Amino acid sequence: MLEQSVVYLFVALVLIGGCMAAFSRQVLYAIIGLGISLLGLAGLFLSLGSPFVAAMQVLIYIGGITVAIVFAMMLSIAMSVRPPDPDVRKSMFAIGCAVVFFFAVAYLIRDTSFPQVASPASEKAWSVGALGHALLTHYNLVFETLSLVLLLAIIGAILIARKEKT
Amino acid sequence: MKTDIVQLFDNPYLALGATIAVIMAYLSVNAIMLIWLERKLSARIQRRIGPQRGPWGLMQQIFDMGKLLSKELLTPAHANKLLYVIAPIMVFAPVVALSSLFPITRTYIFHDFNIAIVLILAISGINVVGIFLAGWGSNNKYALLGAVRSVAQNISYEIPLILSVIPIVMITRTMSLYDIALAQSAYPFVLVQPIALIIFIIAATAETNRAPFDIPEAESELVAGFHTEYSGMRFGLFFFAEYSHMIFACALATVLFLGGWHGPILPDAVWFFIKVYALIVLMMWFRWTFPRLRFDQLMKFAWVVLVPLSLINLLITTLVLKLV
Repeated sequence: MLEQSVVYLFVALVLIGGCMAAFSRQVLYAIIGLGISLLGLAGLFLSLGSPFVAAMQVLIYIGGITVAIVFAMMLSIAMSVRPPDPDVRKSMFAIGCAVVFFFAVAYLIRDTSFPQVASPASEKAWSVGALGHALLTHYNLVFETLSLVLLLAIIGAILIARKEKT
Repeated sequence: MKTDIVQLFDNPYLALGATIAVIMAYLSVNAIMLIWLERKLSARIQRRIGPQRGPWGLMQQIFDMGKLLSKELLTPAHANKLLYVIAPIMVFAPVVALSSLFPITRTYIFHDFNIAIVLILAISGINVVGIFLAGWGSNNKYALLGAVRSVAQNISYEIPLILSVIPIVMITRTMSLYDIALAQSAYPFVLVQPIALIIFIIAATAETNRAPFDIPEAESELVAGFHTEYSGMRFGLFFFAEYSHMIFACALATVLFLGGWHGPILPDAVWFFIKVYALIVLMMWFRWTFPRLRFDQLMKFAWVVLVPLSLINLLITTLVLKLV
């Protein structure tokens, strides 16, 4: 009973944070909303019985990504200027994308048969050796692909921020 | 054999309440005593006498606490009320949440967690957000500048901090603090990882915003940095948080590098606290000996000296572990 209500609390955090991130006119509130949403997601991982993923979620998304966005915002003028009025065409496009994405994900979830697990993974499954082994054998391709994506993102960021030679 | 607090109370909610009560009481008394120690030590280093009310000046802290608690809580007119009130709590709460992970003795512990190190590195990053919200919510240019400096400093020094912890995890092949302390029964890891300890102490001093890395609150430039607009016990909470972060960092260094509770003759807990307070005195000694770094020197030190050094240390550790 209590565990069930804790899950709903985390779901509420995710939804409230997401709404704050999407609908806030102030950039700072949007970032805070994103942080709340990601924290709720970490809580959901925890209640699903994977503390390692939850800790990684907090380490990377709250300690890393959110702080990095805050840092980038502080150095730009976006924090101090009044936000521009919403553009109807952009909003419509965004709503369209969101609806398509929602139905695609809902369709995928409905058509996937998730394996039923009797009990959450044991402490042994989260040992350093087991994690390292899984990352470098079974999930190696995913791991390396993600590194490539990050590398591309960094190169892209440098390309955008680079000063043009006059 | 170890007994944790849930087994002791046989009721998880009672255990949780007891853990929080013990940690809050300890951190509060500890902060008051450390402020006294810092004032006495700084006075000795500068050839002064320091606080003198009561025996050895101990009453001074009691009076200061009374003053802080009874002061009016001012909120600046144009501050963002919600962020302004939440910020000090967000700076202090992570330390309280994480303190239960430390194994103080080999028989009784609060809680043993198999990925404790990841959890500590993850949750201790949240206090940066708190500091930033304090600076932003105050609506004061000095506070905001202090917050900007603090965020830049914290994300830079978190990298060498994490890189200096990894060799220990590689040697012990575990992320549980209890097992890491247990693995040092023969010798403390400072003997095999001296460079990692030095990097850890420097990075931890920077993470706790203490001199010579105290530019987020540099009083000669920024009044008081991110807590300029805070008064009364809200300011007191920032003060508590600083000293709690100090003891937290020193306890982590003790478990990772100095062998935790291991030591001859004296009981476990006594050895643990001797090591922790020795490190704290060392950090206080830094503060009153070194001048404050300039901002560019600070960033350069992190990225040009500490990060490459910790990477080289990691590489050598890997090679040695592979060959032996």
